Amino acid sequence: MILLRAVLLTFIFIYPVKANTIYNLIKIPNLEVYKINTQNKLKYFYATSSFRLGVQKNIVCLNPNKKDLDTKYNTIYKNLNKYSYNFLKKINLKYIVLCENLSISGINTAGIPDNIIKTLILDIKFNKDYFERVIHHEVFHVINDQHKELFNESEWIKFNASNFKYSECSTCTEKLGLNTYNKTKGFFTEYSKSTASEDMAEVYSHLIFLNTEKINQIRKSDIILNKKISYIENKIKKIDNYFTF
Amino acid sequence: MIKKIKASSSEKIIFIFLILLGIITSGTYFVIKNKCLFIKNYNPKNINFQNPDNIAILNAPCGNVIIELYPNISPKGVKRFEALIRSNAYENVAFHRVIKNKLVQAGDLEFGKKGSLDYGKIGTGKSGLGTIKSEIDNKFNYVKGSVGLARTFKNDTEDSQFFIILQDEPLFEGEYTPVGKVLYGLEVLKKIKHQRHSEYILRPDFINSFKMLN
Repeated sequence: MILLRAVLLTFIFIYPVKANTIYNLIKIPNLEVYKINTQNKLKYFYATSSFRLGVQKNIVCLNPNKKDLDTKYNTIYKNLNKYSYNFLKKINLKYIVLCENLSISGINTAGIPDNIIKTLILDIKFNKDYFERVIHHEVFHVINDQHKELFNESEWIKFNASNFKYSECSTCTEKLGLNTYNKTKGFFTEYSKSTASEDMAEVYSHLIFLNTEKINQIRKSDIILNKKISYIENKIKKIDNYFTF
Repeated sequence: MIKKIKASSSEKIIFIFLILLGIITSGTYFVIKNKCLFIKNYNPKNINFQNPDNIAILNAPCGNVIIELYPNISPKGVKRFEALIRSNAYENVAFHRVIKNKLVQAGDLEFGKKGSLDYGKIGTGKSGLGTIKSEIDNKFNYVKGSVGLARTFKNDTEDSQFFIILQDEPLFEGEYTPVGKVLYGLEVLKKIKHQRHSEYILRPDFINSFKMLN
């Protein structure tokens, strides 16, 4: 124990204090600036080496390679540029962290929002088929976290058929499919059936991603989805009346 | 009878060398000890300012730091900062957080006053005037010498603490309320006492005075 203390003290005294502005701002280590002068003032960071977060260090993400990063950054930038500075301010999103193989307790995930530190961590390698839509799905979680009072899950559940039940959590189900159903029947994807908040995020991401004609077509053919779409539209308009889908 | 021994020329050279060495050593000691030796102390009376009403002079151990305040960018932040300056609230307040070549932070009126420093709480003190809203929407380039109001992890918690950056910090834009910029005397701030292994300073330097020009 004494030896351990001595080693720690030696390390503290030898190692000079080195201020890291990014770490001071968002408390995520090993990040560098990728791009900060963007139109909507979103600031993009990338992991220079792997990092672990959380009290139990159960959130892990690896550093991406330069080529993947450059390619995916363009896609992410194009999609997130749809959001105005004012809207981003209202949902408290300012920093995007780009990394690879993001996981929580060993379960892979596309993104982790944290509205307290105004940050969305994105896995740039997550499901390339639905990558763009998933970006908006994760943005919805940021919106939901910031405006919890607006998105009432009990109200939402009532839109579904009375015999339908969501799972206990988004990771305790096998319903993980992200491909959009041809026959929707109240849900855009299999993953929509996991939990109410994931269902909301799927509706939101489709609203952003699909064109108006397709959305109108779905609204006409699916009464449940029509209600869900209207619900999300109304709530988003309450946050920012100038928001356009 | 004592025989007088004459010093040889090589002994004389060694003797002179030792005397010179002594002079140089003691001279160097005083030069090193005086950290302010090559720091220019600006006298605001000798400078013509465009906006003299917005000029504040912070006097630190190595001299004056002349700051221009920007009420157009952060009206409420500057109003609070100026009110505290005019009430001499910052006198004898510690530069409690200093990161070499990066930033100096001061303004803890509760736990950072000379004579009643509280090392356990320094950096968490309040002014008693309450917190003010963050003003982070206006464009402001956080370049070297920029002065901003410090806050807790949350917005709208600015009070009396402020920082001055010693290097460009573009990520600070939109995060911290800017209140001004150092016009003269940045070198004075680089001489504020810092520590190699900690941001928080044991036996820190203090603000001697902080006054508005007019």
